[in-house]
Amino acid sequence: MTLLCVGLSHKQAPIGVREQIAVPSEQLEARLRQLKSLPGVREAMLVSTCNRIEIFAVADSRAAGEDVLETLGSVAAPHAVCRFEEEALRHLFRVAASLDSMVVGEAQILGQVKEAAAIAQQAGALGPELSKALARATTAAKRVRTETGIARGAVSLSSVAVQLAHKLLGSLDGRSVLLVGAGEMAQLAARELRTQGARELLVANRSPQQAEELAREVGGLPVSLAELPALLERADVAICSTGATQAVVTREMMARALKARRYRPIFLVDLTLPRNVEPSTNELENVYVYDLDDLERVAAQNRDLRTAQVGQAEEIVEQELKAFLLASRERASVPVLARLRAHAESVARAEVEKTLASLQGLDEKQQKTVRAMASAIINKLLHAPTSRLRAEAGQGPLGEATAALFGLEGEAQQPADAEASSEEGPAETAAEGAVLPLLRNR
Amino acid sequence: MATILVHIALVAYTAGAAAFLTWLVRPAPGFARAGRLLLLVGVVVHFAAFGVSLGVAGAGLGVKAWKGGELFSLLAAVTVAGYLLLDFRYELSVAGAFVGPFTVAIMVPAHLVHSDARAIAPEVSHSIALFVHVGASAIGTAVLALSFGLSVLYLASERQMKEKRPGRLFARLPSLDLLDRAGYRLAVWGFVFLSLAIATGSLVSREATGSPFPLAPKQGFAILAWALFASLIQARLVAGWRGRRVAMLVVAGFVLLIGTYVGLLSAAPALQGTAA
Repeated sequence: MTLLCVGLSHKQAPIGVREQIAVPSEQLEARLRQLKSLPGVREAMLVSTCNRIEIFAVADSRAAGEDVLETLGSVAAPHAVCRFEEEALRHLFRVAASLDSMVVGEAQILGQVKEAAAIAQQAGALGPELSKALARATTAAKRVRTETGIARGAVSLSSVAVQLAHKLLGSLDGRSVLLVGAGEMAQLAARELRTQGARELLVANRSPQQAEELAREVGGLPVSLAELPALLERADVAICSTGATQAVVTREMMARALKARRYRPIFLVDLTLPRNVEPSTNELENVYVYDLDDLERVAAQNRDLRTAQVGQAEEIVEQELKAFLLASRERASVPVLARLRAHAESVARAEVEKTLASLQGLDEKQQKTVRAMASAIINKLLHAPTSRLRAEAGQGPLGEATAALFGLEGEAQQPADAEASSEEGPAETAAEGAVLPLLRNR
Repeated sequence: MATILVHIALVAYTAGAAAFLTWLVRPAPGFARAGRLLLLVGVVVHFAAFGVSLGVAGAGLGVKAWKGGELFSLLAAVTVAGYLLLDFRYELSVAGAFVGPFTVAIMVPAHLVHSDARAIAPEVSHSIALFVHVGASAIGTAVLALSFGLSVLYLASERQMKEKRPGRLFARLPSLDLLDRAGYRLAVWGFVFLSLAIATGSLVSREATGSPFPLAPKQGFAILAWALFASLIQARLVAGWRGRRVAMLVVAGFVLLIGTYVGLLSAAPALQGTAA
């Protein structure tokens, strides 16, 4: 069986192409059923976001890739990439870990992959192979998030402002936010601060009507801009975005307010040009002024920090990928081991019965001793081959050689049979047999 | 037995410090968890060592155990215990990266100090005041060491926030507000214990030398540190000082307090006699 991945992302196709081939969520199940009905396709999952559309499938052969590609349509075909086996698996791991995202480290993609898996499950398109791969990809993604700084640091200006407010004030519960002016980005940041627990949102504007309108829109309290000095004594965060050509908040005004507020820290966010807050205000103790350039610099630094963590994140993905592949190969080596043991036990059983039939008059204890001896011989003989096959984990030539040497190719003995037979034997046999389910469970 | 336990504690502290420092470079939560656990193991074993030591010392309040080296050892144990409580309350993994190495740094000299040379003068070795003095000194210093650590973190974080250039540690540091509040609260508690230590210290000094405040570097530094912490608390309460100013005063106060310990080790303090 082959794991394949067919699709495209923001790296291969412009937004014009992506929007044409995006699959709306209500059509996902139907599309998955269509994929599953393709010849040779056993399992399928479709991840469709604004930045990518990717189909992960388990098929009988690589040839199924062509059919899967066709389902994406002629618009996608020139841009789409087909990946197989380890490459497809690596891509799944990297996508889930947000290493293939437009903003590296963004948190949404893992949720989107999980949602895609849930929809595939509902549509009956998700099978054991894809499920195992997804589980490991999720583990890798979680490790990447917790063990590296790839998801740390906001990268958009409004979220940088909110993050810095947290850094200064800790929890925003019970804090007061002052919105001066009506800039869009300022409204966005103010809304976010409000949803994160800010107690009150004061909206100041030159025109009382505008203040009232805006306050209604963002769920705040309208106040007059003339009260600004008093408002600065009250607010913990002030976001300024007026169209004024001169500074609205001066250093002197802030210095007076600072004394009145007993040096409680205040975060002033200036989101306009020309600037609304006199730059030297930042020199005051416990006053932190961030203008557009400052926010952009922090955002850029966060982006750089994320990029610097990519190497470490890729290492984690490779570790998890290798571990997953090793476990898969171990699983693959189980049938040979199971068939070998079943073969040996059936030979031993037949010989023991023949011997017991010829040795008339043996009591139950003596018969048991003969059976135990046969089992012990099997265990001793199979000990070295079992260890070697397990160590080889289905990668080397020993699996095939064993099958050829013992004439096991034609035998369709299932591991379950081997388990059942090993249970009949003495303790040592049972212990050896117990390895099989363990390997299968990996 | 006690010595073996102290060695085990030192090994645990060192491993804990290493785990926390590794966490600074590679932020896997497992490293911070391991560091926390190792410090916890270290402090439990360390207090067990004190228990054994007091049991062996047996006599009276066991103050014979309070020799120069043991005082530093106790200081280390109380600092770690205080950090673990603080971490439990505020989740301050990053402070562990400072407390761990700090603990190791004061534990090692604790073992280098030759106990006999710093033995307690016989006339005060069974004094309740001495017992309280040593205990309050150790707790007060440990609490102020933690306050100092948080203040240093505050200053570093505040500088980055002001200069608008967050560094690598910035993301892992708690908010400035939390560092400020926790640092100040610890400074207040440290001040309370320091006051107690100075009051009982003067009683001990009078028992040993007849003078409650002999002119010695140790006493001088202690009084200066106490005055500085007192003015810091007053400035906060009356004028509302906070943030950078308070953090810098805490740092200065703790440096003065360290001077007390240097005085304890280097000079021939009036408290300590030559015979055990």
